[in-house]
Parts: sequence; structure tokens; C-alpha cells
Amino acid sequence: MTVDNEATLEIQHLLRDFRPQDGDLLGALHAVQHRYGYIPRIAFRVVARQLRLSEAKVYGAATFYSEFRLTPSPATLVGWCSGPACRLKGSEGVRRMLESRLGITFGENTGDNKLGLHFAQCNGTCEYAPQVWVNGEVVGPLTAASTSDLVQKLKDEA
Amino acid sequence: MARITLNGVGIEAQEGAPLVEVIKKNGVWISNLCYIDGLVPYAGCRSCLVSIEGARGLQLSCTARVSDGMVVDTEAPEVKSARQQVLAIINANHSDRCLTCHRRVKCMPGDICLRDDVVTHRCLTCSKNYRCELQTTNDLLDMGFENVEPWALEPRTYYQTEQPDPDRANPWFEFDPQMCILCTRCVRACDEIRHTTAITLANKGYTSRIAFGAGGPIHESNCDFCGACIDVCPTATLMEKPNKWIARTEDWTSTTCNSCSVGCTISIGTRAGRGVIVKPDLVNPVSADQICVRGRFHYEAVPDKKRLQRHLVRRGPPGSAQLPAHWGELVEYVAGRIKDVVAAHAAGAVGVLGSPFNTNEENYLAQKLARDVIGTPHVDFSQAAPNRAAMKAVEAAFGTEALPADMLRLGTSDIVIVIADDLESSHNVAALRAKDAIVGNPAAPRHGTLLLVSPLWGEMADFAEPYGGTWLQPRPGAEAALVDALAQRAAGGQAALPPVAEGDLPRALEILGEAKDPGRRVSIIYAPNPGDAQAAGNGARAAANLSIALRGDSAGESLIVLPTEANVYGARDMGVDPELGPGRTPLAEPGMSFDQMIDAAASGALKALIVVGDNPLMFAPGSARVRDALASLDLLVVIDSLLSATAQAAHVVLADVPSYGKTGTYTNGERRIDRLHAAVAALGDARPALLALTDLANAIGGADTWSYAHPDAVTDEIAASVPGYERFGAGFGAWGKARAAVTPSRFERQPVSAASAAPAAGELLLTTGRTLYTSLEGAAIHAPDADKLHREEFVELHPADAAAMRIADEDEVMLVSAHGELTLRCKISGRVQEGVAFVPVYYDGGAVNRLLAADGAPAGVRLNVAEPA
Ligand code: SF4
Ligand code: SF4
Ligand code: SF4
Ligand code: SF4
Ligand code: FES
Ligand code: FES
Repeated sequence: MTVDNEATLEIQHLLRDFRPQDGDLLGALHAVQHRYGYIPRIAFRVVARQLRLSEAKVYGAATFYSEFRLTPSPATLVGWCSGPACRLKGSEGVRRMLESRLGITFGENTGDNKLGLHFAQCNGTCEYAPQVWVNGEVVGPLTAASTSDLVQKLKDEA
Repeated sequence: MARITLNGVGIEAQEGAPLVEVIKKNGVWISNLCYIDGLVPYAGCRSCLVSIEGARGLQLSCTARVSDGMVVDTEAPEVKSARQQVLAIINANHSDRCLTCHRRVKCMPGDICLRDDVVTHRCLTCSKNYRCELQTTNDLLDMGFENVEPWALEPRTYYQTEQPDPDRANPWFEFDPQMCILCTRCVRACDEIRHTTAITLANKGYTSRIAFGAGGPIHESNCDFCGACIDVCPTATLMEKPNKWIARTEDWTSTTCNSCSVGCTISIGTRAGRGVIVKPDLVNPVSADQICVRGRFHYEAVPDKKRLQRHLVRRGPPGSAQLPAHWGELVEYVAGRIKDVVAAHAAGAVGVLGSPFNTNEENYLAQKLARDVIGTPHVDFSQAAPNRAAMKAVEAAFGTEALPADMLRLGTSDIVIVIADDLESSHNVAALRAKDAIVGNPAAPRHGTLLLVSPLWGEMADFAEPYGGTWLQPRPGAEAALVDALAQRAAGGQAALPPVAEGDLPRALEILGEAKDPGRRVSIIYAPNPGDAQAAGNGARAAANLSIALRGDSAGESLIVLPTEANVYGARDMGVDPELGPGRTPLAEPGMSFDQMIDAAASGALKALIVVGDNPLMFAPGSARVRDALASLDLLVVIDSLLSATAQAAHVVLADVPSYGKTGTYTNGERRIDRLHAAVAALGDARPALLALTDLANAIGGADTWSYAHPDAVTDEIAASVPGYERFGAGFGAWGKARAAVTPSRFERQPVSAASAAPAAGELLLTTGRTLYTSLEGAAIHAPDADKLHREEFVELHPADAAAMRIADEDEVMLVSAHGELTLRCKISGRVQEGVAFVPVYYDGGAVNRLLAADGAPAGVRLNVAEPA
């Protein structure tokens, strides 16, 4: 049984009103994310203990819902649309370009936390497919080449 | 019973049974890549499609239930083709490309493939080649011969997806997610079969993947390396790391794990006489398809080069070298020296130690050598005292120490009472069955209640309060008093309940009230501490009192006393005890116990000691006095497969084979007889202890000549001559199911004496016990990787004590008791209570025994922070 430290005690305090009933898991994760802007890794253990779940169950739930972040929010968040229209029009190439130019994959930030990549769901703006969202702003339609330009621009601005 | 037609053949099946299980049981092969027998179907892979007459479209046989008159076809062309299409989609996202190649049988690694230049992505270079369920599924569905290749026209998703990195950071598992087909069997095995829930399906849709704990490496999750997930994984994603690339076995041998008294049956896969892999073997119905990390991986705890391969002799003064010698020469030498001792003194100047890790056959011959050949009554083993105390208490309560209770009932008990230090660590599969009783699985939910009495936190504690039970945490040493007080209250008395650090005493009393209901199924597990004889006696008395208070005349059906070591009961039944002969017949003239032998050796009354598999310098509390006593013997003979501390002190060492190389029987913690079969070949000159004992007996020359040509001859002699073992001759068939039958004849409450004293001011109470990972064999030779995870190489301290003494995590500290010193690092841990320190009993070959008195009771220790060098 691991021993608490300041960080886990703080999370424990944050979760003191949550009870081991199913519906509370998402609430608890939201509470943690609200406080820190993301869900720090140590929080899984604390949430699990509070709700009498296993750490893996909590992690599974947190990664299932795309609104939860496991890394601090970056200054600029690039969301990649995983929807069908974008997929059909070549979002795969966009993704590969994003990943290789940024050197990170979904749910990760660049080392300086300036740019982050996020796996997103279709938001209905399919006419701009394939597209990404830069801090929520639709950018599209993209090609692999224009994605590369976009990344360069974001890096320069960051 | 329902009658159904399967591929045109009429068969009988259980109404409502999962169809896929019925199909498999009737010898018809069907792909079922995500199904686990007995669990709720996941129905994710769709590879189990069959046609059922009257149903619309094809049906999943894992979700379909048998009903009378059902007509099922698994082989019709449209069924096969549908399953092929399904498999093609699975293959499209799997790294292999020669699954469907007709040339595969001719291809050897390194050949240039005619169809594909990506030569690494193929079964031929996969560690699971030839033992892979996905591969077999492809073969049996004729994916190759019929050329079912989904990627002929479309891109393969596998090659489009960034594959996560493999996790090879722990000693036992390799997790290679690129091979994963997301069947989620591992997730469900860990959750529903093991109740550990270390694995999850993370992310969703396109990015789904298997993750451990909070997504980090496996060893940072709560996984306890039982390997249940490996057993169900249909691909090479989760694999045993040891021998991963060579575990293509030539043979499988069923034998028994030697690492605790659950006695799980294991099947050892061998190649060229070496063990390369272990799987659970279904023979023991309690362990069934489960084992723990020790059963699965400790077969390779010690590398071959560290095993004894030559017999050794020291003819010079103490401390001089042990030199290799020939078998015959040594047998003559030992026999001569023993005869000299007997002639010069008396037969009573010789002692013999057996061991609870020996087979019954070895222990039987060891005591026979002592009593019948040498003529000495001094027979015992170094860990006997606590077990003897516990068994005397059980005998006093019930009129027999061999209770009829059966661990098979444990998993379906309504109330489970566990009195142990940390059952999860000491007897992992017993703890698993207790958890079965508490949570069951979604296909067979259970709602048992756990009353846990344990001074240490262990994983079992998490199964108490959340499921309506409670974990009572007494001070170490006060368990018996607490259990006895509970027993008195359960019997209607008014005993005051001693204080506990944790736990809900009123709830405990309620549970006991429920446990008195004869309609409830109740199991009481008591696992005595391995070193502390007084506590073991008291604990067993208290546990017996509690079971009698709760269950009256059927108390013996409920109480299971689980010794730490594998074959304690076998050793007692064979007569490795100074007071009992084979069959536990009391002896008119008892010999000396282990402790008395040590005293006699120190005083010069005992001159020679033959140690058969025992290692007192590791197991006996108060090591210093044992070391001095052994050093003053004229002759110390050790028969062992490892150069243990005791073997290093010996004049003669006869190299034995490890337990995986032995044939014989064990008697486990519920007195179920388990079978061992030699799986691995002897190394070098090593010979099974049975041969050593036979040759020694004949060289010393008793009344009869021993002629045991095979271990089975000894097994048969035991069956013929040891009361209680009549049914267990070498020829008996159902090894796992047989048990020595006994009926309790008495039900008596016994007084429990008060707990031992508290430590002095400024001292902590030092306790010890069995931990999960440290291997017996590694510990015996002080191997630096006896605990390959390096989690159990610490003294555990409560945070408050550490803070008071200004000790930080991982600081090196020196423990000083009245008996000795020990320097090691500390771990600040939530497992121990304030004022208590815990050192694993096998840490550094039993180093903690240096700090304890001969009676093994918890000792007061001072902590000195080691000066930085
Ligand atoms: S996991 Fe099985 S099917 Fe896949 S490459 Fe390995 S042996 Fe072949
Ligand atoms: S080894 Fe056992 S505990 Fe670990 S993940 Fe696999 S099933 Fe779960
Ligand atoms: S790791 Fe194995 S058992 Fe688990 S989901 Fe992947 S293929 Fe299935
Ligand atoms: S529970 Fe005991 S017998 Fe079973 S595998 Fe583990 S150590 Fe061996
Ligand atoms: S599919 Fe990308 S926006 Fe709809
Ligand atoms: S076994 Fe039936 S769907 Fe996987």
C-alpha cells in the first residue's frame, strides 16, 4: 500500500465527498480535471481508492472520454478529426504529418507544453474535411503539405 | 438435458449452456477468439459464427444458449466463409503476413520470401509461432489454402497505425501491443477470474488499446504477475519473458508447485530436459486453471549454473574448501563416519532433519534411515516448531489434526474468515478462492462476506469493507486473543474485545452471528506465522475455538490451517517429528526436537547431523546459535540441490535435483495428496535424494537391504504402511481429488494465553512473514535477484515512525535486537502499523532470523540510521 504525499492528499481532499457509487467516477474525474486542467497520473490511484475501483478501471474510463486530458493543457491544442468524412478525404495523411512534425501522438504535448495533439470527434463541419481544430478554430480542408505548413506556422508562433 | 444436432450428429447438452462450450466439449473445433469458458461472452470478435436452424442469419455461438431440438452447423460453406471474412478483418489489423501464405510450411527464417519483402512481420519470426491460437485459427479456417487475403485490394490498418512500444521492463512478462487483436480476454481474465483488474481497454474506437494500471509499464500497475492474462491471450501480445523464444516444448509434465501449501498443480513444458515454461494444470481442483507468480516463474528462479552439479566434501579444518568427490566414495565415507559416531557414542549422537519442501517419499525414507537404520529417534525439521504447536492445538480441539475441511468449498462460501498475516502473499491461490466467494464473476456472481483478522495490510483487506465485511487489524501477536474473544462472544459469552487499529468490531460480531446459521457455508482459514511457535499454537487454539463456537459439530468441515511451506503435513504424516512415527503414531520414546538437537550439538551431545533438504541457517529463528551449533558437529551431511548456507557449512554435500526433477507426493494444506513427476533432467552428477538415502542406508547397513528401484516403490510402501495413505499408492488415478479421510471426534474449547509483551520504549516490534515474490531457491543461495522485482528487500516502516526517527524512504538503516544486527534499506509503507517493523522472512536468505530469539517471537528492535560511508 503506497503512502500518501502532499499531492495525493490534496487530490484526496478534493474528492472527499465522492462515494463509491458508479455514477461518481466521471464526476470525480471532472473534479480533478477542473482543479488541475488535466488529470495527473497520480490521481488515478487516488480516485480508484476513493471509489473502490481499480486504477485500470479509472484509467480506462478517463481515456474513453475525449474530454479528459492526461497531460497539462498546452498553449495551443490541435484537435485532429477522426470522423468518417475527414477519413475518406485523407485525414490519415494529415495525422501522420502532425505526428511526425510534432514528434508526439494523441494526448501528448511537446516537451515545452506549447503544442498538444488531441484525438477529436466529428463536429459536423464536414464541408471543410479533412480538418483540424486549432484551439477550437476549424482549419481545413488540409493536405499533407498544407498541414506541414500549418505546423511550421504554429511552431513559429508558439 | 437438451438434445441438439451438431453437424448432423445428435448430442446431449445442458439446456441453457453456452453453445460454443458445448461445441468445443464435443470435439468440434470452432474459432472463438474472444471467448473465455465460464465467463459472460464479450461477443467482440465474431469469429464464432454458426448457423442455427430457424434463426435469422448466422448466430454467435458464444452468446447462443443451448435449447432442446436446436440444429447447429459449424461447417456449412456459408458459415465457414463468414468466419473467414471475420478473420480476414482481424488479420488486417495484425502484424503477421504469412498467416495466409501457402508457402509457410516451407519458409524458414532468413529465407527470402517470394511474396513479401517485409520479412519480419510474420509468424515464422514470431515468438508464438506453432503455439498460437490466432495462427491455429487461421490454419483451421483454411485462410491460406483458400487465399483469403483482405489486403489484396485495400490497405491494411495494421500498417497504417502507429504501434505502441512493447513493455519489457519487468522480469516476467513481455507485452507487445502491436500483436494485439483487442479481444479483451486479458482484461476479463484479470478482472473476472483474478479479481485484480490491472488491465483495461483504454481509449476508444480507432485508438483502442490494452493498458495496465494508469497506462504505464506493467510493474507500476497492481498486476501481481499471476499470468492468467498470458494464458488466455490468443496472440503473442502477452507472453512469458523467460524462455520466450525457445518455449516450443518437447514434453509437458504434470507436477506440483513447491512454494506454498495450496499445492497448485502445474504443468512444466520442457525442451532438452530443461524447464522452459509453466502452465496451470487442472489436476488440483482448487487451483484448477490458476496459479501465482511463484508457481509460474520460480522454476527458473535460479540459473542452472547455480545449481549443485557435483558432490562436495571438506576433509580439512573448518573453513577449508569443499572439493568435488565421487558419489560412491562419499557414500562410503559418510557411512563410515556415522558408524564411527554410533560406535564411539551412541546412535542417539546422530540426528536427521527432513524438510517440508521434500516429497513424502524423501521424508519417509529420511525418518526410516534415522529410526530403522541408524537407530536414532532424533528426527525433525527446522521450521517444525510453529507447525507442531498449531497441530497440537488442532488435535486437542478435535481429536485429530487432519480435519475434513476442503478448500474446494472456499470459493462458494457465504462467509469467509481469514486469520493470516497477508494471505494474498503467503497463499495466493487460497486468497483467490476467498475472493471468488466474495465477488464471483458476472456470469456467476457471489456475495460472500469477509471477516479478515490481519495485523498487516494485504490485498485481501480491500475485499472486506466494500463488500460488507470488515478487516480487523490487531497488534502483531494479539491476533489469537482477538479471535478468542470473538469466539467467546459468538458462543454467547461477554469477553471484552481487545482494541484494533482498524476495523468495525460490531460488524464483525454481526458476521459471526450470521456464520452460526447452519444454512450458511462458512470457511475459516488460519495461516500461522512461519516462525513464531507460541503465536501459532495460540492462533490455532483461537481459530479452533472460533470454528467450534460458530459451527459446533461441523467445525472440522470449516477450519483450514494452512502452513507456510508446501509439505508440512506430509512431513508430519511421514513421521518427521521427534514424537510421531509414520502415520503420526505417538512414539513411546520421543527423540529431540530441532531446537533440542541444536542445543545438544552446541553442548557436544549430538555429533552428527544428516540434513535432507532442510536449510536451518535460513529457516530457524536465532541463526547465530544455529550456526555455532552446526560448526561444532563432527559430521554435517547435507543433501540439497543448492549450495545453501547450511550446505556451505557441511562436511559432505550430496547434490540433489530440484523439486521439478522429483517424482513423489506432497500433502497440501488441506491434506490433499498432490503428485509430483520429474519434469527436468538432473544436472551434472546430481542425483535425487531418494537415491542418496537408499545408498546411505545400505552402506550403513541396517537389518534390511533397501531396494527402491523407482520413487514409486517408496510411494507404494507408504500406501502399504502409513495409516491414512492407504489409497495413495503410485498407481492411484485421481491424484488431485484424493484426500486422507478423517473424522473429528471431539470439539473442545481451549484457553488462549495472553499476547507477548510490547517492545521497550524507543523500540519497534519486529515482525516477519512470507511475501509474494521472493523465491525460495533464490533466497537459499542469497541470490541478488531472489526477488526479481526488488520490492521485498526492505524493512517496512510506518510513516509516523519514519517521521519520528527522521528516516526517509530508501534510507539505509541498521536494525539491532538483543540477538543480532541487520542492515538494509527501509520502505515507508502503509502496510504496517505504527510501532511495527516488517522484514520479509526470505529476505537475503532468512537474514531476519538473526534478529529473533529461538522461539521466533516478534522482537524489540532499535533502528540506527546507517552512517553514510
Ligand atoms: S501472434 Fe500468432 S498469428 Fe500473430 S504472428 Fe505470432 S504466431 Fe503468427
Ligand atoms: S498477471 Fe494476473 S494480475 Fe497481472 S494483469 Fe495478468 S491477470 Fe492481471
Ligand atoms: S493482449 Fe492478448 S488477450 Fe489482451 S486483448 Fe490483446 S490479444 Fe486479446
Ligand atoms: S498459490 Fe502456492 S502452490 Fe499455488 S502457485 Fe502460488 S505458491 Fe504455488
Ligand atoms: S468527419 Fe471530420 S468534421 Fe465531420
Ligand atoms: S467468441 Fe463469440 S464473438 Fe468472439
